[in-house]
Amino acid sequence: MKSESALRVIFAAFFRAGLRAKRSRAFVLLSAVPVLLMIIVRVVDAKESGDFFTKVMLSLYFQLLVPVLALFFGSSTVNEELDNKTLVYLTTVPVRRRAVLLGKYLAAFLLAALLVAGGFLLCFLAAALDRLDDAAAWGELGLFLGAALLALFCYSTLFTALGAFMKKSILLGLFFVFGWESIVQYFPGVTQKFTVIHWIKSLLPIPAGEGGFLIFQLQPSPPLPSVLVPLAAGLLFLCIAVFIFERKEYILSDNA
Amino acid sequence: MNPVLKAEKLSKWYGNILGISDIHLEVESGITGLLGPNGAGKSTFLKIAAGQLKPKIGRLTVFGEPVWGNPRLFRRVGFCPEHDSAYNEMSGGAFILLLARLHGFAGAAAAERVEKALATVGLLENRERPIKAYSFGMRQRLRLASAILHEPELLLLDEPLRGVDPLWRIRIMQMIKDYGRQGRTVIVSSHILPEIEAMTSEIVLIHQGKIFAKGDIHSIRGLIDSHPHQVSIRCPRPRHLAERLIAGDFVSGIEFAADGGGLTVRTNQRDLFFSALMPLAAEAGNEIAEITSPDDNLQAVFDYLIGK
Repeated sequence: MKSESALRVIFAAFFRAGLRAKRSRAFVLLSAVPVLLMIIVRVVDAKESGDFFTKVMLSLYFQLLVPVLALFFGSSTVNEELDNKTLVYLTTVPVRRRAVLLGKYLAAFLLAALLVAGGFLLCFLAAALDRLDDAAAWGELGLFLGAALLALFCYSTLFTALGAFMKKSILLGLFFVFGWESIVQYFPGVTQKFTVIHWIKSLLPIPAGEGGFLIFQLQPSPPLPSVLVPLAAGLLFLCIAVFIFERKEYILSDNA
Repeated sequence: MNPVLKAEKLSKWYGNILGISDIHLEVESGITGLLGPNGAGKSTFLKIAAGQLKPKIGRLTVFGEPVWGNPRLFRRVGFCPEHDSAYNEMSGGAFILLLARLHGFAGAAAAERVEKALATVGLLENRERPIKAYSFGMRQRLRLASAILHEPELLLLDEPLRGVDPLWRIRIMQMIKDYGRQGRTVIVSSHILPEIEAMTSEIVLIHQGKIFAKGDIHSIRGLIDSHPHQVSIRCPRPRHLAERLIAGDFVSGIEFAADGGGLTVRTNQRDLFFSALMPLAAEAGNEIAEITSPDDNLQAVFDYLIGK
């Protein structure tokens, strides 16, 4: 079977399965938290809701929800097959392994992207209900959404590669998200450029006084590299994931 | 004639645990039974044959081609894994349809394949139910459907009868025999001798990762039958039955159960013993409640054969 057709078949099957999965439902609930917060702020103090929107996006979405969604959806691309011992069904059909990985990855990415986009839109509507005819507000939403999808792509490909390489990748992923990304982004000089969040935050309008940790501050990079670096890193991680998945022997029995 | 499957010096181990060691094997068309106790290396061998594992040493070819990293081969090969795994959120029909489409069938052809495979294993009426609602036996039959849906020339079945109810056990064994009669190749593993015996006379005995014997089951049966067997019998008057049994020259020893409700007989002529047992019990008016063979499992047979 041609790889493109196999990729489409796998993508469609796992996207449909993902829509019904318990994990997706749990993440819908988690994504509803910022929306609820926005609605509360809107009801209590409508004037503050614009600033609060930016804060919610930065602190809840970019620092928490996006990397966590990417971690669970990305690492599950391969890990779920190993944990459930179902990989055997996808590797005993006349289909190249790369089509299996890419089809599953795209399904997971689209599910996570829909969750993020849905949450963003609802938060935005709650924050900008009285200025829906303001093109600048929609532009800001587009900027946040684009940056979030870029972050999701970069993180999820990294965690897909990690999941293809090792069985219990979630722990290492959590360490990366809550350790490395949370702390190193505030290191001075070039060190902070070794985090994904540095490039993503460089694209966003950071309110004055935000983005600091102890005495260190975000030192934004220019916009073009801030788009290209996560994009290139994501593509590289995806290639690494395919390379590993095509060659690695996965032992599904208890003998391992 | 070229063998369908050929293994040369095939070895595999997991860390310091031996899977299989130095296996040389050629399999022709027809049914071959892979027989061995749990942990003997049957599954490891089948997983290498199905391209799931890489050999550490040696090589295995199917239809003259290496299996690892060769997905095209799976147009001609079907594999039913041993472990109880499935996409539980999918329905049985959706799962088989996914595999049919990955085998290259589209539209009506895919639907026809799904229907045929599910009908063969008796799951057509349950096709819309999610797999998580299936019983263990139904999931086992679904795995079998996944292996046969593209009507492969080589079918690798790892313990396909495990957990299947008696009626379907017979039907599946019949299906496997039909496959063999059609000139296809089936390699079926089990740790239960009578299961294999009911499907084929061509067997490979595998033990501790090595091929212990290969050939016609009757010659191996002969080896097995030359060793004493134990048969435990539960009955109300065991001493009375023992008197009758000891008179025959097919009994080499008798032990009575501590609770006084049974006895264990050792015999070198199992067939003769069983043909004599029922008339003797009836003659004595001694109703037999249960007959079990404590050593009638493959591990015991292997222990006998390797002289433990």
